[in-house]
Amino acid sequence: MVTIAAAAASRRMLSVLLLLCLSGVAWAKTHRFEWTAAWGSQDVDGVGVRPVITCNGQWPWPDIRVDKGDQVEVYLTNGMNDSTTSLHFHGLFQRDSGQMDGPPMVTNCPLVPGDTILYNFTVADQVGTYWYHSHTAGQYEDGMRGLFIINDGENNKDYPYEYDEEVVLSIGDWYTETVTDLSKAFLNLYNPTGAEPIPRNLILNNTRNLTWDVKPDTTYLLRICNIGGFVSQYFWIEDHDMTVVQIDGVYTQPNTTNMLYVTVAQRYSVLIHTKNDTNQNFAIMQKFDETMLDVIPKELELNSTSFMMYNDSLPKPEQDVVDELDFLDDFYLTPLHKEEALGEPDHRITLDVVMDNLMDGKNYAFFNNITYTAPKVPTLMTVLSAGDQADDVTIYGSNTNTFVLKKDEIVELVLNNQDTGNHPFHLHGHVFQALIRDVEYDDALGLKPVSYDPDDHAPFPEYPMIRDTIYLRPQSNLVIRFKADNPGVWFFHCHIEWHLLQGLAIVLVEDPASIQASSSQAITANHLSVCANSSTLIKGNAAGNTDNFLDLTGEHVQLDSIPTGFTKKGIIAMTFSCFAGTLGLVTIAIYGLLDVKSLDNVAFNIMSGGAPTVSPDDKNTSAQELDEEFEAKQIDEMLEKSEAQKSKLLGKFKNIF
Amino acid sequence: MPNKVFNVAVFFVVFRECLEAVVIISVLLSFLKQSIGDKNPKLHKKLKTQVWIGCIGGFIICLAIGCGFIGAYYSLQKDIFGSAEDLWEGIFCMIATCMITMMGIPMLRMNKMQGKWRIKIAKSLVEVPKRKRDFFRIGFLTRRYAMFILPFITVLREGLEAVVFVAGAGITTKGSHASAYPLPVVVGLIAGGLVGFLLYYGASRSSLQIFLVISTSILYLISAGLFSRGAWYFENYRFNKASGGDASEGGDGNGSYNIKKAVYHVNCCNPELDNGWDIFNALLGWQNTGYLSSMLCYNIYWLALIIVLGLMIYEERHNHLPFMKNVQMKHLNPGYWIKNKKKNEMTEEEQEKLFSRMDDLRFAEDGVIEESGTIQGDATESSGPDKKNAEVSGKVVELATTNTQEKSNDSQNSSSSQGRTQYWH
Repeated sequence: MVTIAAAAASRRMLSVLLLLCLSGVAWAKTHRFEWTAAWGSQDVDGVGVRPVITCNGQWPWPDIRVDKGDQVEVYLTNGMNDSTTSLHFHGLFQRDSGQMDGPPMVTNCPLVPGDTILYNFTVADQVGTYWYHSHTAGQYEDGMRGLFIINDGENNKDYPYEYDEEVVLSIGDWYTETVTDLSKAFLNLYNPTGAEPIPRNLILNNTRNLTWDVKPDTTYLLRICNIGGFVSQYFWIEDHDMTVVQIDGVYTQPNTTNMLYVTVAQRYSVLIHTKNDTNQNFAIMQKFDETMLDVIPKELELNSTSFMMYNDSLPKPEQDVVDELDFLDDFYLTPLHKEEALGEPDHRITLDVVMDNLMDGKNYAFFNNITYTAPKVPTLMTVLSAGDQADDVTIYGSNTNTFVLKKDEIVELVLNNQDTGNHPFHLHGHVFQALIRDVEYDDALGLKPVSYDPDDHAPFPEYPMIRDTIYLRPQSNLVIRFKADNPGVWFFHCHIEWHLLQGLAIVLVEDPASIQASSSQAITANHLSVCANSSTLIKGNAAGNTDNFLDLTGEHVQLDSIPTGFTKKGIIAMTFSCFAGTLGLVTIAIYGLLDVKSLDNVAFNIMSGGAPTVSPDDKNTSAQELDEEFEAKQIDEMLEKSEAQKSKLLGKFKNIF
Repeated sequence: MPNKVFNVAVFFVVFRECLEAVVIISVLLSFLKQSIGDKNPKLHKKLKTQVWIGCIGGFIICLAIGCGFIGAYYSLQKDIFGSAEDLWEGIFCMIATCMITMMGIPMLRMNKMQGKWRIKIAKSLVEVPKRKRDFFRIGFLTRRYAMFILPFITVLREGLEAVVFVAGAGITTKGSHASAYPLPVVVGLIAGGLVGFLLYYGASRSSLQIFLVISTSILYLISAGLFSRGAWYFENYRFNKASGGDASEGGDGNGSYNIKKAVYHVNCCNPELDNGWDIFNALLGWQNTGYLSSMLCYNIYWLALIIVLGLMIYEERHNHLPFMKNVQMKHLNPGYWIKNKKKNEMTEEEQEKLFSRMDDLRFAEDGVIEESGTIQGDATESSGPDKKNAEVSGKVVELATTNTQEKSNDSQNSSSSQGRTQYWH
């Protein structure tokens, strides 16, 4: 699969030469991949065969390994008949190749069935563990993902830490059904709380209960990458310490721990030194962060055990149960190349995370009350076709949550979580400094969400942790900063695929003038044909309007919010009900009081033992008593009579009792 | 939480049943007074004691059964309902609505209620079936302790009815507790007793009637609310079932209800969560979500009630329903035809005869009831198929040989022991 291209096109040659100068590497290579994504079947976790998206008829997708400075060409053909697709190389900056980033309707047009797109880019200045995955509608949870490892120099020889062997370990979650099926039930009137589908198993290296044969007294570099779509995982190896040396492609000062907490899309490179003796095998443990699960099905195995084997002749280890989940807080990691905290931001974007329902009863995710709704024109195409107006955020649509960043400004993203869930956020095209990550405010304890206050906050770390995917705690807040030095259109979103489907995303248009000016960021002919094949507009504002970019008529917008109080029809219904109730009570009262006239007489007649008639003439008792002709005179007479009777009877009763 | 202390529906049911019991007692007491009165104070007192003991005895047994019933219900509740709780709530709401609706209107016609009981009691006093008298001297005991047995049986029967009502009405209140029963039962008893007392010991009838009107109104407000809530629970059940029970824990906000079927929703005032609003829920059927079905049910209930009351008012004035000369309200009740009640109807004349016969009842020294009237008839005299005939000659009959007073089903059936089964109509 990996081919060494001697000499390619002149442009490529140029970059190769450039890289030769920069890095001093002897050869920059070109890696060319031709992949066709199509439906197949696979039993991944030993529970049962289900449809998966295969690569050239195979599953899993290949883990690819390139050296720093190499060029990558991926020809992706959509061999599925029921869906568009895309590919995103997670964590790569795509400097000067922003149009290769992948998210449909952000930088790219969707790839329709039968069509082929070329992703062509150079990994100039990044090393470490990355991964690639479809960025279309949760598709990668059906298996369309793989690791993308960039060696620091040939054979990773420039890696700053000593190790003997390198091992790659992808961890993830696996569902019973395909995302298409799950999404139907997930984005549904009858899932009003937006409860995410529950995976059926945790997997690692695309299987379960894996066996890892280790040598004694050896240092392993273990590249851990969570390629799942939903749950964060605790990861630990029984009785073995792990020294974290790299996160999301950023080298860190060594930090030893015995447990990691890995959200989806996060990567940890750790050093593990094996024991000297081989008389015991140890458990490799994965555990669901079950607080993210809406319900915990009885049959769900929260702990998943794999085996670190020193000695094959000894039995496999039992699962390792721990007393508490005391894991490494990545916030306190320090990059190896210490980088001081960025100064006061030029541009602060404050985002409130809310999950709520709209008028269709479905549950959506919101940044500042806007749920990301894809525009009619991919935002990058709007940038390229807008000319001078590209600086005006209006043209990107009112429902895309787009922000325009100026060249080289310091950008601060403030995330205030009004939701009770944990959200791993990922920024395309950058790594960022994490300046504040507040503690969890548990609503089960009656705590309310706490927002970040720029004037009153905990001190920033001197050398903040840097990575590309970071989690935000429930009802908590998070502050990250980065320098807008990578022109392009970058998605910032929650990497829980369900939440992305719900619209938890913003778009950052970074330095639009430089994008327009850069010839390497122009849309390629291949890409244009992809757009044409998918009938995607490639010019105009978010509404596809090319004449007047400020006219957003016809843009895609979210549904209306649900009113919190009475609406017109509610008031009408209430009024009717009150009216009906009042009328009913009046009727009861009329009926009840009609009887008063006769009651005195009848009741006392009974007491005196007579027939319940008013008078001998009036035999039809109650029916006729009510007659209008019933004279007032008669009533008076009877009242007198009954009064007399009453006092008489009262006397008698007093005697009786 | 009011639901844990005072169950409004229970209160009204007990109150109403208590009124009925008071009427029974009063009819009996007045009968005693009239037939014995001052003539034999000792006997009068004795029989009065019997009446009270019978009433109280029947009542206590009822109470015990009721407690057992409710206790059993609450201990089984969890197992029975499980996830279908809303469904059951809805069903119970509907049942309670029916029951309250049926029993509410008669409360406004105390005189009719009294009349009904007079006739019932008169019948049971006059027409002691022969069979009961013949075996093991039960007949004798029956007669001797008629003043005990009659109220005992009556109160027991009425009381069991109330127990069913109470249980039905009580368990409809969501999150209701067994602890919500004692207080409303006691208060209902006191209120019922008080009204009964006032009914016979003075107080303006008009103001009493106003009191009854008010309490009936409240009863129907509750009933309409229950009906609406029943529909609401069904809707909620369907939504919760489809959504896997998520909505019930959703609080007041979006997603806690089916937006597609809601007419209104307010993000507050949830009777199940917010204090205070559960009173509105119990009294008026308030929900912070108004579903189309629940709102329709509420309005339809009142509409139906207004129509029925309108018809009853018309019937009271014209003695038949509008446009149907020979049809009365009761004829529309299927039970009327099923139980063949027409047979049991009495004309004014018959009633008067019955009462006059009752006037003739006398008590022997030992408390045995005797009919003191002319002891001249014989068994065959009134056995003819002609009811009128039987009535005319029905003066008659020493109790010991009475077998022809076949106006009621009971006596008719029992008479078959003499091989002279007769069916009219």
